[in-house]
Amino acid sequence: MIKNYLKIALRNLWKDKTFTGLNMLGLTVAFTVAILLSVYALFELSYDRFHENIDRIYNVYTTAQSPDGPEVSTAKPIPFALALQKEVPGVEKITKYNGGNVLVTYGDKQLRMEAAYVDPDFFSIFSFPVIKGNEQHLVEDESSIVITQKTAKTLFGEENALGKTVNILQQGRQRPYTISSILEDIPTQSTMRFHLALNFKNQSDFVYADNLTNWEKSNHRVYLKLSEGVKPSQFEKATRSFTALHREKFINDLKRDGVLPDTNGQYIQQRLLPYKDIHFATEKNGTARTSRLYPYLVLGIAFLILFIASANFINMSIAKSSGRLREIGMRKTLGANKFQLFFQFWGESVLIYSLAVLMGIGLAHLLCGQFQTVFRTAASFTNVMGPLTIFAFFTGVVVITLIAGGYPALFMTKLGILQSLKGKMEASGKNRLRDGLLIVQFGITILLISGTMILWDQLEYMRSKDVGFNKEQVIAFPLNGKREDAQAMQLLRNELANTPGIVNITASNNILGLGKDGTSSTSAMGFDYKGRGVTTNILIVDHDYTETLDLQILKGRSFSRDHKSDSLGLVINQAMADALQEKDPLRAHIILNDTVRYSVIGVVKDFNFQGFDKTIAPLTLFLNPKWNMRNVYVKVSGSNPLQSMDRIERAWAKIEPNAEFLGSFLDENIDRTLIKERLMTKMIGSGSILAVILSCVGLFAMSLLVVNQRRKEIGIRKVVGASVATITILLGKEFLKLVGIAFLIAAPLAWWFSFQWLQGYVYRIDLSVLTFLFAGGIVLVIAIATIGTKTIGAALQNPAKSLRTE
Amino acid sequence: MLIELKNIFKWVNSGGNRFFLLKDINLKIEQGAFISVMGPSGSGKSTLLNILGMLDTFDEGDYYFNGQPVHQLKEKYRSRLYKEHIGFVFQAYHLIDELTVYENIETPLLYKKVSSPERKALVSDMLDRFNIVGKKDLFPAQLSGGQQQLVGVARALISKPKLLLADEPTGNLNSKQGAEIMELFKRLNQEDGVTVVQVTHSEKNAAYGSQILELLDGRIISK
Repeated sequence: MIKNYLKIALRNLWKDKTFTGLNMLGLTVAFTVAILLSVYALFELSYDRFHENIDRIYNVYTTAQSPDGPEVSTAKPIPFALALQKEVPGVEKITKYNGGNVLVTYGDKQLRMEAAYVDPDFFSIFSFPVIKGNEQHLVEDESSIVITQKTAKTLFGEENALGKTVNILQQGRQRPYTISSILEDIPTQSTMRFHLALNFKNQSDFVYADNLTNWEKSNHRVYLKLSEGVKPSQFEKATRSFTALHREKFINDLKRDGVLPDTNGQYIQQRLLPYKDIHFATEKNGTARTSRLYPYLVLGIAFLILFIASANFINMSIAKSSGRLREIGMRKTLGANKFQLFFQFWGESVLIYSLAVLMGIGLAHLLCGQFQTVFRTAASFTNVMGPLTIFAFFTGVVVITLIAGGYPALFMTKLGILQSLKGKMEASGKNRLRDGLLIVQFGITILLISGTMILWDQLEYMRSKDVGFNKEQVIAFPLNGKREDAQAMQLLRNELANTPGIVNITASNNILGLGKDGTSSTSAMGFDYKGRGVTTNILIVDHDYTETLDLQILKGRSFSRDHKSDSLGLVINQAMADALQEKDPLRAHIILNDTVRYSVIGVVKDFNFQGFDKTIAPLTLFLNPKWNMRNVYVKVSGSNPLQSMDRIERAWAKIEPNAEFLGSFLDENIDRTLIKERLMTKMIGSGSILAVILSCVGLFAMSLLVVNQRRKEIGIRKVVGASVATITILLGKEFLKLVGIAFLIAAPLAWWFSFQWLQGYVYRIDLSVLTFLFAGGIVLVIAIATIGTKTIGAALQNPAKSLRTE
Repeated sequence: MLIELKNIFKWVNSGGNRFFLLKDINLKIEQGAFISVMGPSGSGKSTLLNILGMLDTFDEGDYYFNGQPVHQLKEKYRSRLYKEHIGFVFQAYHLIDELTVYENIETPLLYKKVSSPERKALVSDMLDRFNIVGKKDLFPAQLSGGQQQLVGVARALISKPKLLLADEPTGNLNSKQGAEIMELFKRLNQEDGVTVVQVTHSEKNAAYGSQILELLDGRIISK
């Protein structure tokens, strides 16, 4: 029986090569893309899930009220963690955490590595399993470190790493550390990444030892594991008296400045951010918000694409079923019951679907590498594959097949024997489903196209926005070598002096945009100014900073080598000038550390020193060339900037032969901060192209069938005098009406979604009706072109021919 | 008695008027009969045949098949009844285009869940008997009309029905092919005792039967 079904299924598929081909193509492409997109989304969603205690791990952050509203900070003072554990019940384990770059030396090897400074309890909170060496007492000993397997390989190759000693450059001295344990490599889906872990106490005195009892300076993160049964909200409440006790001075300052407490009467509230949300968290109005929008959006697109392809399949199957009515009738006469017929026809769908799924899996596998490059992700089959995923995937396929294959099968077997034997299908009802499916298809397509256009507009807007500094001609790179920064800068200046194409050189302790090394940081401070608290971001710069970046000086002057007193001078931005509320900001003096008096010497126009989703905050520039600078900026002349890049690279190689040159132009750095938007544009963009193609395949097939079914009608109309144009319009009209309805449904939805999404950006485009009309127009034109190819052909045909076939 | 029809009516309602397809049909068919149903177009011949074959329903009256009251049976039992006892032959052959001659003949056995070796034996017998062994792997489209109808008859007979219903079996055939099919029916009726009811327009074909039934406007006007 099965063999008979299979045989007839294959022969039927073979007979209708056009339809089988269109169906197979559509479904295979849809499955390939859907699989890839799902892999990506699942990969994103599985971030940090490998920690066994994930549901009880939290990051402690603070919401502090300020004159500008609530502000979030994850930084904690050194005594905080221990005091919290002692004084507030519910903490099972707690650890301080600080990430940093260290220079590791082993023999003649010298490498920059990501270090994690942690308390020993870190390893009983997070799951980073030990594969070799001491498993119990990680980083308890201040002279031992823990490294990952990969680090072991880079440092020691095939040699046994355990017990070896490496030197780490700290506070200008090489300090030896023994490797006590080796960790399994950190999974790709880990937010926390490091090459080696050290005891928290091993940080420079400036960070740790000097601040043992200092509650005023915050410089690291704190993670904790709650005891079983403790609710985070309950814990947050319990921290209030703790906060009141330890931050009394700060709270009093806030009260003095007239800052209003939050709804619970708190000026500072400790909060817990679930660690499982950390990959998706953003800050909004003083609390951390979790948004898994992007991965779910991607998953959504995957389903939409599958829906479009399946809708095509259903429509084609039903439309084609009229050709098989006789067979159905005959089989019934020969004794087939409904179930047997249902299984036969459903089986044919299952066959097509199985083939499409198999080919989709195969293709997705082949394209995975390219997918990873294009979408800059490490997502692959191996890191999302699990029994649950596989089970969910197959359930999904079965459900889709059951609906997409089951409906037409049911539809065909429901018909009466005589009716089927006559080969005629009742016209009522069936078109409603077809029309509904087509409307949804086109609605989805319009939604995706307008989404792509809005994303693209917003992206271009942000990219081309005047950021306030010269981004085209400035190359930035990190000071990642062994030499002291000021010395390295001096050497670089000497090396590049008189080099053609190099205009200016400077350095600062922070990067603009996101550099090739992918790190960025913010530092901020607060101080009292005329009885008010003022907060500002701070930036420590070298000479020539404003000149190199072409910052526009609004008032006063920039730092200059001619003024020796400039180390006590400040250059502030417009936002900071506003915050000081001085008529003439150049008269402002700021006392820091109780004694040192700084004076404002200049005001620069606001420039985007942070991301585009933030308003420009107050910023103060300090001149201190001896500071730990981190980044070099070189302005090059407009002619042949790439050659200048080469020259800088060679100069850097001379100064720091062991350090990698990670130079990039600032506009590249800005692009890097927009990576999320760019990715989404690419994904939704490719999704919408695919949606257009698939919908058109469906539309093409439908018009093909309608033309065939109405061949006689067309002939008669022509005989009685209809022109080619009227017939084409007659045939196309009903489909175009559907596109119209789809537009009316999809456009408001698209508007609403993009409006919501744009709220996340401070600098955003205005939504224009034109965008949506344009999206609708594109779909309409493509639909007309698709239908036109068949209908015009049909209208042109000789009526004698079409009438004879009856 | 194989079939007994008592006061069978069938009608359709169109625009408030009741239009009768069959009116007060009373008919008894003995096991082994060969009946030809004649009459002009629209006289109800095919409707009667479809009702006999349980492909169609009627609005009033009683139908006993082999002593069982068909008018009281559920769809499931009705279909079991015709699956077991009735074979159909159509004017348009109604072979399944995607199946070979062999597979077409085999299909009814599949639905009766006959085992594979048994199926093979039965189909081979049938092919032998109809002299179409050489054509068993061809598709219907590759055969002439007469050959297709031969396959149609073979398929109708494969499940050894008591009753063979044929709706203008020779309507699409030339006279020579038609005569062959009729000879075949006669042989089946006489040698194998299969009851045959055929609808036909042709006096000549009707003469092969043992009894002629004439219909006009849904009534039997002569037996």
